[in-house]
Amino acid sequence: MNLRLIEEDGVNASVGLAADETLARRVGDGSSLPTLRLYTYRSSAALVGRFQSVENEIHLGFCHDNGVAVNRRPTGGGALLMGEDQLGIALTLPGRSDEGYSRARELMELFSVGLVNALAAMGVGASFRRKNDLEVSGRKIAGLGMYRDISGGLLFHASLLLDMDIALMLSVLNTPFEKISDKEIRHVGERLTTLRREAGSGLLLDEVRPEVAASYVRLMGADVRPGDFTPEERRAIGELERSKYQTDRWIYQTVPVPDTVGTSRVKTPAGMIEFTVCLAGEMIKCVHVTGDFFASEESLADLEGSLRWHSSARWKLEGTLRAFYANHGDAFGGVGIEYILAGLGQAINRSLLKAARTASDPYGCFVNPGEAHVPA
Amino acid sequence: MTDSHPVLELPLDRFYDALRHLWVQPTFDTGRVVVGIDAVGLEYIGDLAYIQCAPRGTHVHRGEPMGSLEAAKMTDILSAPISGQIITVNEAVIRNPSLVNRDPYGNGWLAEFSPECWDKESVQLISGSRIGEYGQRETERLHSANPVR
Repeated sequence: MNLRLIEEDGVNASVGLAADETLARRVGDGSSLPTLRLYTYRSSAALVGRFQSVENEIHLGFCHDNGVAVNRRPTGGGALLMGEDQLGIALTLPGRSDEGYSRARELMELFSVGLVNALAAMGVGASFRRKNDLEVSGRKIAGLGMYRDISGGLLFHASLLLDMDIALMLSVLNTPFEKISDKEIRHVGERLTTLRREAGSGLLLDEVRPEVAASYVRLMGADVRPGDFTPEERRAIGELERSKYQTDRWIYQTVPVPDTVGTSRVKTPAGMIEFTVCLAGEMIKCVHVTGDFFASEESLADLEGSLRWHSSARWKLEGTLRAFYANHGDAFGGVGIEYILAGLGQAINRSLLKAARTASDPYGCFVNPGEAHVPA
Repeated sequence: MTDSHPVLELPLDRFYDALRHLWVQPTFDTGRVVVGIDAVGLEYIGDLAYIQCAPRGTHVHRGEPMGSLEAAKMTDILSAPISGQIITVNEAVIRNPSLVNRDPYGNGWLAEFSPECWDKESVQLISGSRIGEYGQRETERLHSANPVR
């Protein structure tokens, strides 16, 4: 396979997103070469996931006042802050529109292996977690996403953190924290890591790109050739940017699934534990665990990571927690699983109650006209 | 190997699209069909966070996107198992996608279609005695694959 390599810096958010989708479509219908793009966005851009609500995820006032671009990705997952210290990795490959879920998962795992191998070559041991995180010792270092075009073209996207200004990130992205103090900055800082933290503070973006490119070339057995967009591709990107990625209809669309936050405090023999649970409908988007009990930050980060995009059903939570306790032993200084389950359960129930209270206007822009009914 | 894994629940009263892991159930008095995600598909994608369906009135061909979804394990398009016009979308599922995981063959249905090529396309779906083979094969495949954490 011939793989075109395009490297860019300071890409405008709407252009970068339109380029991703355009290449997925064109690679799918055979009019463009399979392409690996290694690029950075112009600092800074706040990008929500395909189904998220900008109003829920982003501090729009701060972004407006500080020139932070806001847009929506075609891929799923959570909101991201992108800029000169976050490397965008977009791999577009041909596929078939009738491929099933099993094939998509296989390809997503393969894509993650490319990045894991690249990080290993730089001395960083990372692993794939659930659907879209790469982690180092429980701390997120990259977010991954996949988009399949109607043509069958596949876009795999990753955002690799070379560095991150956490205070800026907390100013841009909405979090369940009521204020942004040193404590919150430290808490978030302990849940993610960066390539510079793991591999050396002097690491340059231009040293990372060749490692990433070489890893995908090896993995795919591809013949890589540096290149650029063709004039025809640039025209198509411009058209998609104007018709989609520059429009409020795309960026500010809402979904009818409510976002809610619930909190709880549980007194345990080892101290007080506080839980904050963010739900999208009945799905756990994220969990934050704090308190005055003894636990390693790595264990806490791992627990929180294992509950991202997790069902809120008690029996499923219990299964995950039992597996976590089996792997971590006495990570929480004698705090039994029953306390964690009770705290999570209470926070989830409070969150679901809020969702029920705000369900009076269930119609978002994805909702179709007509009466819902169960067909006979 | 498969003796230790329970075979996935696939009710015998409907048809299955083995590639897209969707079920299709005809309603003979109306000539319409109802579509949902089967137990195999749910094993692959995990718990659903969001579902988007094309609006009522949309015509789709078999294999074309009829929506998209985001779940615990992946984000992907939802391809139509048959050609036809979407008559109704299950708004309850759009608002609460967890319904699909809880009750995939009941309240978790996705959309109702007026099929346009049912006689031709239904033979490409799995039904009757072949459903058991489909369940067995997919159970083996699921448990032989490397699980994603």
